[in-house]
Amino acid sequence: MQTHIISLLVEDNPGVLTRMSGMFTMRGINITSLTVSPCEKEGLSRMTVAIEGSESELEMVRKQLSNLIEVVKVVDLKESEAIIRDLCLLKVHVKDPEARSEVMQLAESYGAKILDAALDSVTLELTEEPKKIDRFVDLMRHFGVKQLFRTGVTAIGIGAGVER
Amino acid sequence: MTREKLSGAEIVVEELKDEGVEVAFGIPGGALLDLYDVLYKEEAIRHILMRHEQCAAHAADGYARVLGKTGVCIATSGPGATNLVTGLANANMDSSPVVALTGQVPTSVIGTNAFQEASTFTITMPITKHNFLVKRTSDLPKIIHNAFYIANTGRKGVVLVDLPTDILAGVAEVDLHPKETFAGYKPNIKPNQVQIKRVVEILANAERPLILAGGGVISADAAVELRHLADFLGAPVVTTLMGKGAIPENHPFCLGMAGMHGQLYANRAINECDALLALGTRFSDRTTGWQLDQFAPDATIIHVDIDTAEINKNMQVDIPIVGDVKLALSGILKLLEKKREKKTGSEWEKRIKKMHEACDSCVEDISREGASVSDILIKEISKLLDDDAIVTTEVGQCQMFAAYYYMTKKPRTFISSGGLGTMGFGFPAAIGAKVAAPDKKVVDIAGDGSFLMTCQDMATCVENDIPVVVCIFDNRYLGMIRQFQELFFDKKYSQSGLGITPDFVKLAESFGCYAERVEKPEELKDALNNAFESGKPAVLDMIVGKEDKVLPMIPPGGSITRMIGTERCKHI
Ligand SMILES: Cc1ncc(C[n+]2csc(CCOP(=O)(O)OP(=O)(O)O)c2C)c(N)n1
Ligand SMILES: [Mg+2]
Repeated sequence: MQTHIISLLVEDNPGVLTRMSGMFTMRGINITSLTVSPCEKEGLSRMTVAIEGSESELEMVRKQLSNLIEVVKVVDLKESEAIIRDLCLLKVHVKDPEARSEVMQLAESYGAKILDAALDSVTLELTEEPKKIDRFVDLMRHFGVKQLFRTGVTAIGIGAGVER
Repeated sequence: MTREKLSGAEIVVEELKDEGVEVAFGIPGGALLDLYDVLYKEEAIRHILMRHEQCAAHAADGYARVLGKTGVCIATSGPGATNLVTGLANANMDSSPVVALTGQVPTSVIGTNAFQEASTFTITMPITKHNFLVKRTSDLPKIIHNAFYIANTGRKGVVLVDLPTDILAGVAEVDLHPKETFAGYKPNIKPNQVQIKRVVEILANAERPLILAGGGVISADAAVELRHLADFLGAPVVTTLMGKGAIPENHPFCLGMAGMHGQLYANRAINECDALLALGTRFSDRTTGWQLDQFAPDATIIHVDIDTAEINKNMQVDIPIVGDVKLALSGILKLLEKKREKKTGSEWEKRIKKMHEACDSCVEDISREGASVSDILIKEISKLLDDDAIVTTEVGQCQMFAAYYYMTKKPRTFISSGGLGTMGFGFPAAIGAKVAAPDKKVVDIAGDGSFLMTCQDMATCVENDIPVVVCIFDNRYLGMIRQFQELFFDKKYSQSGLGITPDFVKLAESFGCYAERVEKPEELKDALNNAFESGKPAVLDMIVGKEDKVLPMIPPGGSITRMIGTERCKHI
């Protein structure tokens, strides 16, 4: 099992998400993260799908996705050749001033932004690689995470931007 | 392109005509009144009123398989559309080009559980190649054109267009007959030349080459190329169920159908070959058995398919070629002919000759030990029909008896539900086949259980003068289920008996069909003659034994190298 990131360029039609996710459902593959957004081309959207599966499952899914009429392009992004980002918003419990300053310090060292502060909590934003966010969230759990939101990954190939 | 102001329904019909549609099978409904109003005065399109939407889809499917031309079926919203589902799934599984038009509630109430609303778009998404829910009347020309383009190019399949009533009733000024297609749809047709060279290298040096022909050979109209290659290589041909007819089954190089209910020596050949050229097949478990390491263990496997997603899906292959089978075959032949002489007189060829004779006598020698009435009847049918006759089948023992014993001579003359295995397919498919080829004899090889699932369309046959002949293998059982219970479930016949009703002769007569009971195989010849002579749709109720079994077979979970029930085969 390995995480794969598939970047899709799809026609911006109602139903295209169902069609795409149905492909995974049919093959019993779990989508671990999914983002949909407009892209540089009008009428098209970009979907970034993270799945867990073997190489052969990935290969199968990649081909079946390309078969979908509304899918214009499928790119399978390798971790080593892509910049991968996830955005995380979290509300951390701070029981006393000591905890507060520790949280602030850690946030700073991770490059997280402080969005809001209340008497007993701090709201933070961190945009990073998913693994780094995982680590940051784990740290914050020591203080108590009241709420956690993650957008799911989006990714872009490195270099000149020539998509394979 | 001509710019015109038309209603949605008029646009649909204009585009259908532009796509060359001559026949549509359907049933109207509230959501389709506008469309049927336009069809009422339209002479270029013959609409055949079916008695069940499932049959409309199967008929369109049968029509498409006979002609290679896209079949069209029409159903109203809600129950009409849900009734189509089985037929669409069936056609799509067997890569048959069908366009389905369905009515839908007005766009303003979609999603409100309006009267006769079903989400046809989401229901049919996983059982179609593509589907559309039309949101603007002005989108219709492009959508209808692309529905046909998508259905009948690349790997063929079903495209459904869901038509809300306000879209059909609405008026728009449109450019008819657009040629624009979708950016995301580029069917892969041209095979890669480098891969072809690699394949030629393998085939030229193979000592025991074998060709496995699937339905793709037929849908690509590549039967001629297939025969040339087989002759040139001295390679025998085995087929899948869908590939039946890709090569005349009496051709000395043809070893018949391979797989679960296939010929013993077709399976043996797969076992013995050192190069396997698989054409337009998806290596379904019915063909490969369930122990893949025992499928062609010594062979370099070459897989030609138009659908990239089939490569390495069920079978890991050594050399894939993605593209049209016809183009790939002619590419291979061209290089091969340059590379070496035609091969004759090899050891393999002698072996094939023997295997062919064994298969033949297995099929020919019907009086041998263990031959059942069912075996004999199919043999008779095979003898009595001419090479151009079209046989459709239902599903069950009847289907596998037909697959085993019916000698198919030409492509598109053996029409059977392969992927979905749909009981009730054969009869409506026969209706579509007869409409497609009125001058050919069309016979449905039916089981009693299967026929009861769609027999109401005898009314369609009688009303529209579509004289197909249904030969019922009347064993009063869901025979295939009974066979499995007998062989693998200690003869506990759980829910496989059908009892004594109906009287098929009276049932058929009540519809106005010609009908006759065939108590013994000797009576078949006259009965079949009478049926054809009557000029009417006909039903022959052929009494067969409930204990007749389709053998030999690969038991479920088994290997292609181990068939059971081979006592009845000739051994060499
Ligand atoms: C619609 C449908 N329902 C159930 C089955 C499962 N099934 C496969 S073969 C069979 C028995 C078919 O009986 P019949 O048509 O009488 O043919 P026979 O095997 O007796 O020749 C059944 C129930 C099926 N293939 N299709
Ligand atoms: Mg039966």
